[in-house]
Amino acid sequence: MFKDARDAQIAFLGMFLVLGISTRDWTIQPGLMAAIAASCLLTQWLAQVVIPKLQGQVIKLWQLPPSWKSALITALGLCLLLRGNHYWSMALAGVVAIASKFLLRVGNKHFFNPANFGIIVALTLTPDAWVSPGQWGTQAWYLLLFLGAGGLVLKWVGRWETSAAFLCTYAGLEAVRYAWLGWTADVYLHKLMSGSLLLFALFMVTDPRSIPNARQARVVWAVLVAWLTFLLQEEFFLTTGMFWALFVLAPLTPVLDRIWSAPQFQFTASKESTPLTT
Amino acid sequence: MKPSSLFIPFSLILLLLVSFVPPAAAFCGFFVSQADTSLFNQASEVIIARDHHRTILTIANDYQGEVQDFALVVPVPVAITEDQVQVGDPKILQRLDEFTAPRLVEYFDSDPCTPQTGASFGFSTQGGIGIINFGDGKNAAPLDNAALLGVTIEDRFSIGEYDILLLSAKESEGLETWLRQNNYQLPEGASKVLHPYIRQDFKFFVAKINLAEFEQSEFQALRPLQIAYESPRFSLPIRLGMLNAQGAQDLIVYALTPTGRVELTNYRTVPIPSDVNIPEFVEDEFGAFYQALFQTSYETENKEVAFLEYAWDMSWCDPCAANPLTPEELRQAGVFWLPSPQARAESQPNAATQSPSALPPFPVTPLPSSASPVVNLSSPVQQNPTPVHITRLHVRYARDKFPEDLRFQTTGNRENYQGRYVIQRPYREAPTCDVSDYRASVRDRQSQELETLAQLTGWDKKQLHRKVDWLEDVPLVKPQGDDWWRDLFSTE
Repeated sequence: MFKDARDAQIAFLGMFLVLGISTRDWTIQPGLMAAIAASCLLTQWLAQVVIPKLQGQVIKLWQLPPSWKSALITALGLCLLLRGNHYWSMALAGVVAIASKFLLRVGNKHFFNPANFGIIVALTLTPDAWVSPGQWGTQAWYLLLFLGAGGLVLKWVGRWETSAAFLCTYAGLEAVRYAWLGWTADVYLHKLMSGSLLLFALFMVTDPRSIPNARQARVVWAVLVAWLTFLLQEEFFLTTGMFWALFVLAPLTPVLDRIWSAPQFQFTASKESTPLTT
Repeated sequence: MKPSSLFIPFSLILLLLVSFVPPAAAFCGFFVSQADTSLFNQASEVIIARDHHRTILTIANDYQGEVQDFALVVPVPVAITEDQVQVGDPKILQRLDEFTAPRLVEYFDSDPCTPQTGASFGFSTQGGIGIINFGDGKNAAPLDNAALLGVTIEDRFSIGEYDILLLSAKESEGLETWLRQNNYQLPEGASKVLHPYIRQDFKFFVAKINLAEFEQSEFQALRPLQIAYESPRFSLPIRLGMLNAQGAQDLIVYALTPTGRVELTNYRTVPIPSDVNIPEFVEDEFGAFYQALFQTSYETENKEVAFLEYAWDMSWCDPCAANPLTPEELRQAGVFWLPSPQARAESQPNAATQSPSALPPFPVTPLPSSASPVVNLSSPVQQNPTPVHITRLHVRYARDKFPEDLRFQTTGNRENYQGRYVIQRPYREAPTCDVSDYRASVRDRQSQELETLAQLTGWDKKQLHRKVDWLEDVPLVKPQGDDWWRDLFSTE
């Protein structure tokens, strides 16, 4: 059905976006989404076409950048998560998201999740950007849809254990906390049945190009992200805790790659080095 | 006529409109109707003014029972002292309610035979929301054996008609026992719900009525309590209030921030259906209409969301359901980041010679808009915008769908939103030209309005059909006499 996992990811994220806009009363406007998409794709084009051409490579200026799919996935991820009032806030997020892939690298690998990087920069540097953790609500069929779609992509790229480690750790920590507080099970379940949490666990923490290569490293890393998310949310009351946790721990990826070595993820057997990034 | 030559007479007309509107509706146009002020029984109202971690929480009080039976128990995230509590002015809640209430707007079709005539407008509001107390109890007896039960009385003081206790506790059973021993009538299962708050080191703000003070005071009803505290938690504890509730309860939150809209983070925040055209007769039953609309939306959303009824910059409104709050009123509502009148006077030496009450709250200037210049002309705009954004959230919550306390966040979202419902009045005067097309289009519009109304409220369409004042076809009224100029002049 799809040539590579990125096609599936584009289809699923696009579907979530259409669903969110049509059924969830989101405030995002078409112009702001266009600003995100344009800034992501133009930055990718600049980095993969214009700059190489200026450096003397034989490349057509008006061709699609080789990793346009990755840029589109980043754009879709930003459209799903980031909200703002101004075009320039959205454009800034798009530009820095893609630029981070090319500028912040160790060896041949970037270690920040581009969309997450864009979100944190927009939250920190602009007065108007925000994310809405409650935007999906807790309706079960959305959660099942996310699980189904996420499961398919994860099976394809072989990163299901990362999601599982994140979700189990987070759910476990919350279970201990809620039991200690004495809340009943329905309060705990309501906390966990968050569409935003599930999307993050299935589509953002699992980006195979920026997270550790070895399975053991990924599990350790996902456990750490879950723990920090829990800490930031419950002790520091940071509603954007999961994005900050991923951002803060991203530089651990090269360290973990050094400890547990494994081949770097490739989407296709070709030489094209294209990250799957939400 | 050239556009430039239109300018002077048109400006004069606008000037007249501005000059002759009555003071009560100076910014706003004309009231069509005023709905009942207690549409939603058993509704609580709170104002949350918040900037970063600093919060002033105003808890409204329209407790209807015997005052000696009144008691309020609110978990607060940090210890507070006497200085951090005050009694507020009940009028401020009424002002916020009127300013942010869902509104009915009225437009008039122009004469189809003279289409260049401008449309006029009006609007009305539906008002007030009732409130209930969070707790219920008897006048408390003297305090003793608190230590034995692990309850610490952190502070006790009187403010206005209230006696306040600030309690902390080690165990929920101890706190429940202590409250019962002191004649607070706690509902069954209270300790289970108190427990999580104790574990999170919440304090308990307990208020009851000082009867002697209350009888001496000039106030007929209990006034709101205001609490100032600093905490990164941005939440409202609703679980205690659900213990003794019969069915769903309504909560209206007026959230005031310097940055933008407030939304929930653990439930969806859904804008209430708005900007729809509805039949004319709804004017007479706007209260019932809004109640039905809210109930339908609540059920459609599976009873598990919070509704956004209003979000706006406090320096203007369009149309205004009430005059915008003055800086002084905003400060009364808890907006602590606004400078005091003294500070304002010092920073603006020219204004210091006038008393604050003598100053108009906001300078009135026209707002450019392509949509409806007449409406906007009457809307106040502040030249130096007040850094206050208001969000009105309406939450109808019950235990099964709202298991968690409400958690909020402030966003940078400054997009304006209001619950606004439109009546478009057809032109009903005797026609002087062939208006069959116009009248047919109005009947189509009326059918559509009826459809919308039935859909929004769940009301029976057949019954509604009878209430609509359908615009019928009428014979053309021939001009009397020999109006030899009419042909020439009607070609404009």
